[in-house]
Amino acid sequence: MKDRMLFNTCPDGEFFGRVYEIDYICRRAAEKPAPAIFLFGGRWTGKTELLRRVFHGLFWGQARVVPIYYQFKGYGSAEEFAEDYLKEVLKQYLAFRLRDARLVRNEVSLDKLDRLLVDNDLYDLADLAAIHREARRASDSTAALRNALSSPAMVSARSGIPVYLILDDIDHAACSDGQREAALSRELIDSLSLGPASFVASASTKRPLDGAAFSGSAEAMELPGLDEEVATSMMMDLGRQYGVEFDTEILRLAATRLEGNPMYLKSLVWAAAKSGVSLSTLKEFGDLYTQDLFEGNMGIALRSALGLRGINSLRVLHACSTSKRPLSDEDLSERFRLEPSELENIIEGLSEAGLVEVNLGSLLWAGGSVVKDFICFVYETRVKGRSAEEVRTYLAREILKEGFGFRGARAGLKLKDEVAEVMRSFNNQKVLKLLFRNQAFSARFKKGKGGDEGELTVPQSVGCFSSERLEAGEAGPPILVAHGFQNGRYDSGNEVVWIASVKDALSPVNIGDVENFLRRTQILRENFRAAKVVRWMVGREGFTAEAQKRIEAEGVFSSDSVQLKIIKEGLADKDSATRLKSSDKIAPVKEFEVVLPSSSKAELVAAKAVEEIGTEMGFDDAAIGQIKAALVEACINAFEHSRLKIAKVFLRFVASADRLTIHVQNGGVDFDSPSEPSDPIEAGAMPRKRGWGFELMRGLMDEVRVERVRGGAKIVLVKYLVKGDSSNGKEV
Amino acid sequence: MVKRYRNFKEIGDTVVLYPDNYINDIEGEKLEELCASYLERGFKKIVIDFSETDLINSIGVSVLIGMIEKVREKNGAVLFSGLKRVNYDIFSIVGLTKHIRIYETEEEAIGVGPDTAGHVTA
Repeated sequence: MKDRMLFNTCPDGEFFGRVYEIDYICRRAAEKPAPAIFLFGGRWTGKTELLRRVFHGLFWGQARVVPIYYQFKGYGSAEEFAEDYLKEVLKQYLAFRLRDARLVRNEVSLDKLDRLLVDNDLYDLADLAAIHREARRASDSTAALRNALSSPAMVSARSGIPVYLILDDIDHAACSDGQREAALSRELIDSLSLGPASFVASASTKRPLDGAAFSGSAEAMELPGLDEEVATSMMMDLGRQYGVEFDTEILRLAATRLEGNPMYLKSLVWAAAKSGVSLSTLKEFGDLYTQDLFEGNMGIALRSALGLRGINSLRVLHACSTSKRPLSDEDLSERFRLEPSELENIIEGLSEAGLVEVNLGSLLWAGGSVVKDFICFVYETRVKGRSAEEVRTYLAREILKEGFGFRGARAGLKLKDEVAEVMRSFNNQKVLKLLFRNQAFSARFKKGKGGDEGELTVPQSVGCFSSERLEAGEAGPPILVAHGFQNGRYDSGNEVVWIASVKDALSPVNIGDVENFLRRTQILRENFRAAKVVRWMVGREGFTAEAQKRIEAEGVFSSDSVQLKIIKEGLADKDSATRLKSSDKIAPVKEFEVVLPSSSKAELVAAKAVEEIGTEMGFDDAAIGQIKAALVEACINAFEHSRLKIAKVFLRFVASADRLTIHVQNGGVDFDSPSEPSDPIEAGAMPRKRGWGFELMRGLMDEVRVERVRGGAKIVLVKYLVKGDSSNGKEV
Repeated sequence: MVKRYRNFKEIGDTVVLYPDNYINDIEGEKLEELCASYLERGFKKIVIDFSETDLINSIGVSVLIGMIEKVREKNGAVLFSGLKRVNYDIFSIVGLTKHIRIYETEEEAIGVGPDTAGHVTA
């Protein structure tokens, strides 16, 4: 097999998305004149991988430009940079001309390059090596620098083909505060502004070369994290590869929480594989994430990238990361008693690192949620003196809450419905008392104090209903009433009534809510004189300290959304029959994912999958046939516009109680624009031959949408289910 | 005389074609070539029996439309039979059902006289 390997890239199987961006840059590079592009993206969003793939595409796939890839790194001196840069330009040009990939990969000395250039009659380029040696002998760093930076122009002039520079991590050329390195960035920017070569340059911040402004026109291209769909598929593939069990919903949550950042996503899966833990529950995700962030790959990478030298810098950073509004210089200076010059240095450092954005004297956090978690950990341990375990526990709890909210929101369930389901599933199971005592629960997880480990036995529930009929005209959160019997005995002595209030709001339960509940339960309990009454308050966002105190004093049970989630999972595990009964009612959404490889008739795999899912849901044969045909069209469209042979198509089937929704995405490239329904065909004329895909989808499904996602689009197909009718769909 | 092969059957001046389970570009082109060869041999009535066909994609539909045009240019007629519901829906969406006679079975299609075979009353 021919050797076509250039710079190291990750295996195709681990590379997801970015197809649109690669294709776009390659196309723009071949234009005359090619525009300059600045590619901005946070750390580890895949800029290097993307640029190397652009280089690969331009090296092997065209002859209009000579591609030169250069990655900036730390340099001891400007001369050192000049030699490195010159060598790369010369050897990559030779490699392109001789079609020899080894020249790109291998280290070649300047002397050897010199000989190779002479052997190939490229005397004027060999002169560049000679000038460089001369400049070094004379310790003339400016001459060495200018000679190296002019080399792409010389190559263009010699070959008659323009050079296209692919400059990776260009911000690293300007990160030193030394005078000589400042000269480097100035000379570099001058050569890019005035030189004939066009370029794409990547940077982590939007101010890549502070103090040296690019004077030409350039396009700015943002590289965000991977879209949720692509990120989830990436984790699924990695999970299978490394033998990590997973739940797709948890991976979806992880993909969102980790901002679709490929490095974080890979790191999490590796951490799971290394520790033999699955990614099947929220808790497993929370534990693995905090562990990796504090002690694993993510932590090591962030620690080395952020630096975080001074304690004051950390204080300012923490204040910015936790503030919901921009902070002014004055605020920070006063709060941390910092001299203006010190604060200025700190702000400059944080801005260069892309952690804050500075606008009109105000600082706004720009570091993302993962970095924010990491800053929280470093700050709490270094400044506040808390133990790592304490901070980890606190963060894990926050993630559980966040994740629970995410899952709840996705399933479209309201907290009231969840509480009702929990009470309906009571069946003499034992549950930790701590889960019904929010104050103790919070103390244990926030402050590390031990809590009551005792258990209580929930009754066997016979039903649950809303109190509306019993207290018409009452104001306040909804109240649920569940009847049951204790100890498996159905007599008056064991009859019990649970009265639960549910506050499903973004604010915690306050003292007013508690007083309202106490007053209402006092009246409601008159309806259940024979029974023992248990009072329970549930608040999505927990309880205020005052409310907790009052609740404890009154002997009322209290749980927040995290506790409720644990109760729900615990109850389900104790009795599989109850779990099945419960999931039938409370989890009407089932999701399935399929990744189609690019191969002949791959769309039939999708058709087979949807046949199984549709049959399971209760669609009749005619509707299943329509869904299959529409899905085949969507898949063909997705493959057709992927352009790359290795492209995959990601399918997500969401089966809910009344409909099947199918998401079809091709990893970053746009679809055909859906055509408007065609005009009536002239009488007697045959139909047009092409362009029926979207019209077929529209005619066969109840809804067809094209949704914009990061870097591309996806097709969403919806078919409604009408049970008991022979033809499913909206027309029924 | 009736000659039956794996994917077609000749009955006098009529030929019945039996496409595969899935009509995409490749299968559509095979069908088109087969049809062209019969037109060259003087067959005027072409019945396509879709009893074994579960899915037809838009590219397959495009090829079929082209094929029907060619048959008409040679004053021949194309008839469809054995269509599954979804395939009927697809032909209906693209407007092909206004141009082609469609029969429940291949026998019904074969029994139609050549005079009426190529015309459809809306």
